[in-house]
Amino acid sequence: MTALVPVKLLATAGAAFVVLVWASQALAGNGGFGPVPPESPNAEGISQSYWFITALILGILVLVEALLITFLIRFRRRGRARDADGAQIHGSTRLETLWTVGPVLILFAVAVFVFVKLPGIKDVPTAAAGQPNLAVQVTGRQYYWQFEYPNGVIAIDELRAPVGGVVELAVTAPDYDVIHSWWIPALGGKIDAIPGRVNHTWFKAERAGVFSGQCAELCGLNHATMLARVEAMPQAEFDTWLTERRAQQDKGTSPLGREAYAGACAKCHGLAGQGKVAANAPQLQGSSLVNDPAGIAALLREGKNQMPPVGRDWSDAEMKALTDYLKESFGSGS
Amino acid sequence: MAADVGSAPAVPAWHRGRVAGWLVTVDHKRIGILYIATAGFFFALTGFLALLIRTQLAQADQTIITGNSYNEAVTMHGTGMVFLVVVPILAGLANFLVPLMIGAGDMAFPRLNALSYWLYLFAGIVFSLSFFAKGGAANTGWTAYPPLSLQSVGNGQDLWILSLHILTISSMTGAINFIVTIQNMRTRGMTWTRLPLFVWSIYVYAWLLLLVLPALSAGLTALLLERQFPGTFHFFAPGEGGSPVLYQHVFWFFGHPEVYIMILPAMGIVSEILPVFSRKPIFGYKAIAFSTIAIGFFSLLVWAHHMFTVGMSTPLNIWFMLASMVIAVPTGMKIFNWLATLWRGNLSFDTPMLFAVAFLSVFVFGGLTGIYLAAFPVDWQVHDTYFVVAHFHYVLFGGAVFAILGGLAYWWPKLFGRMLDERTMKLSFWLTFVGFNLTFFPQHMAGLLGMPRRIFTYYDTGLLQAYNMASTIGSFVMGAGMLVFLFAIVRSRNGRRAGNDPWLADTLEWYTTSPPPPHNFDSVPYVSSARPLYDLRRKLKESNAL
Repeated sequence: MTALVPVKLLATAGAAFVVLVWASQALAGNGGFGPVPPESPNAEGISQSYWFITALILGILVLVEALLITFLIRFRRRGRARDADGAQIHGSTRLETLWTVGPVLILFAVAVFVFVKLPGIKDVPTAAAGQPNLAVQVTGRQYYWQFEYPNGVIAIDELRAPVGGVVELAVTAPDYDVIHSWWIPALGGKIDAIPGRVNHTWFKAERAGVFSGQCAELCGLNHATMLARVEAMPQAEFDTWLTERRAQQDKGTSPLGREAYAGACAKCHGLAGQGKVAANAPQLQGSSLVNDPAGIAALLREGKNQMPPVGRDWSDAEMKALTDYLKESFGSGS
Repeated sequence: MAADVGSAPAVPAWHRGRVAGWLVTVDHKRIGILYIATAGFFFALTGFLALLIRTQLAQADQTIITGNSYNEAVTMHGTGMVFLVVVPILAGLANFLVPLMIGAGDMAFPRLNALSYWLYLFAGIVFSLSFFAKGGAANTGWTAYPPLSLQSVGNGQDLWILSLHILTISSMTGAINFIVTIQNMRTRGMTWTRLPLFVWSIYVYAWLLLLVLPALSAGLTALLLERQFPGTFHFFAPGEGGSPVLYQHVFWFFGHPEVYIMILPAMGIVSEILPVFSRKPIFGYKAIAFSTIAIGFFSLLVWAHHMFTVGMSTPLNIWFMLASMVIAVPTGMKIFNWLATLWRGNLSFDTPMLFAVAFLSVFVFGGLTGIYLAAFPVDWQVHDTYFVVAHFHYVLFGGAVFAILGGLAYWWPKLFGRMLDERTMKLSFWLTFVGFNLTFFPQHMAGLLGMPRRIFTYYDTGLLQAYNMASTIGSFVMGAGMLVFLFAIVRSRNGRRAGNDPWLADTLEWYTTSPPPPHNFDSVPYVSSARPLYDLRRKLKESNAL
């Protein structure tokens, strides 16, 4: 009778395990039971590691919980006296060995799987012919992301990238800023943007589309609104965009001013300049300050009260793009 | 003669007053109760902050509290729960129980013991008043990473540092007291292999506190100096050659063992409860005692698994991954030994047992999700998300707090001599257990969907909002469970009298009266096994038969 229990138990546990693995695979990538569906090889490697660990963990979990529930039911008091002794068993060296060695083997399997996947996750692939790797500087700032392309194009909060091209990111934060963390779940894991330190990561978007993410390290009162997007587009379209954007930036007609406003200002002052979106930020619509580019520049470079120095290290061109935009949008002269 | 009772200095009358008696007490039992009551108060306060957090996050894009207030709530909830609730309530239980369990009359240094408590209360007052400081309370998370914590305006962060500094001294003196007491004051026959497992866990808890708190003190001192004299000190600000990552290493060298400081005594409590309600000896006493030491030791070597995203070199990542995984082995050992303790037992499901079994069922899950976090490439995906929040609440609420609640239910009769009402307690248990899972299980999914921790709002009105809503509902169910627990405590004033040993337990604290007299024991039986009271009962039974 007692010999049968473990057999029945193992059978139940095994069946439950199979069902659970099936259910989790069916739900893979949606419902939040696994990582966001990967759209880049590094995210793919992470996702595979996740599911490998999940399979092993579910097995252990089901085993332990099944044993627990079985014992609770089978060995409950029922008619026995409250103080009747249970079996006076003090231990078993064989069992101790079994449940020491078992977990070691499982953990060993996890480690091996992860180490096999690691190069595919960590190492930047070499450039394919005709599609060179794109190197982008990413700086996290309170509370926006700034991207700088090799040709000097600057973009804010939205990073454009070619489909199928490897994008190498050098991630950091200015010395005067705080720690942020770069994270687009579909395109891989996160990497911290730390002042005084440059970290490296990469992605290769496998299809066109917009992939969103956000800052993953508490960086102050607007941490929650420090969103980021990656828009993957066909290589030719991307090349055209990058070249045109460079030309626009030189002429001062690029949307950089609007992007900078939306990224660095609007999260407190509001997209319409209405103010008070966060931290009692003053209204910009109709404010006299917006007609004073030098005053704004000084403010952006120094910060004031709760306003961080969002533009301390901006180039004059970037600053001008913003002051022009402010004047145009909210100035009394317009 | 010096030992003559008549020549002992007379206790002034005012020391015996109902209030003054508590203010001047050096009795470990009263100090223990003071600890537990104070920690209970902070549990309510920081639990209220948790409900505030859940209310703000119930739906997408809510503005019930501002981003700044939210950050204060998150910071004070985390700091408070770790430093002012879990660690001190364990110190309180240990204060009450350790001398009784080892058959001693008091702690080794009773006055130092009182000092530990009063410093703790003082730190708690500083912590509470910091909400009214210029600029509000600290708002940079319980980890207080620079440069954010260097730039945080006002005095909240400074008072936060001050409060933790005071607490550190309190915990250090407490830890020394526990170590000396356990080393030297065990009764006749109480060898190391007959020591109750709760005492073993407190012994390791105390050593860990002693080893890692100085690191926290050093980190906090550096932070305070750099905040106050930014032109002079440059530990962490990168502009002057400091390194923000250095702080993280120092903090987590303390911070990770701190997790085990909170969980090991909880495991000790479970190791006391399970055998008593199974009518069996603990399965694998030596394995459990040894695994406690092993976990304590390895916990000192794994700190940087909290830092896999700072860009450490791959060999370092691999080291911290493997070391973290090693901890799963002694932890698994404990779990299987507890399971085997139930095997072929005679199980009674009183509230302490329910909490202990609930601990077992949810702690397994919390422990297993830790494997994702140890495997660093997977951690790159889930780090700093609600997945982590869910993981550590499974370990610290489902683990530590469940065990503490079970421990309170178990030892309440010994503390006050009255039984808690079983039906009220069972209601409290089920509300807490169901509410807990409803709160924290969906947070795993929220994290995998891409929700970082410590955000004051989110914008997805689909699945993410559904999970958050479930979590919020669960948190209020849990809150109701805690209120019922409080109600049971209040009602126990008129509860059934407990007698010395209402659970027919095995350890020495049940040998004396409930509550115990100031001197604890009139006599202590010679201890010849890890279950002195079981031996005694058996002897009594045999002599009756004769």
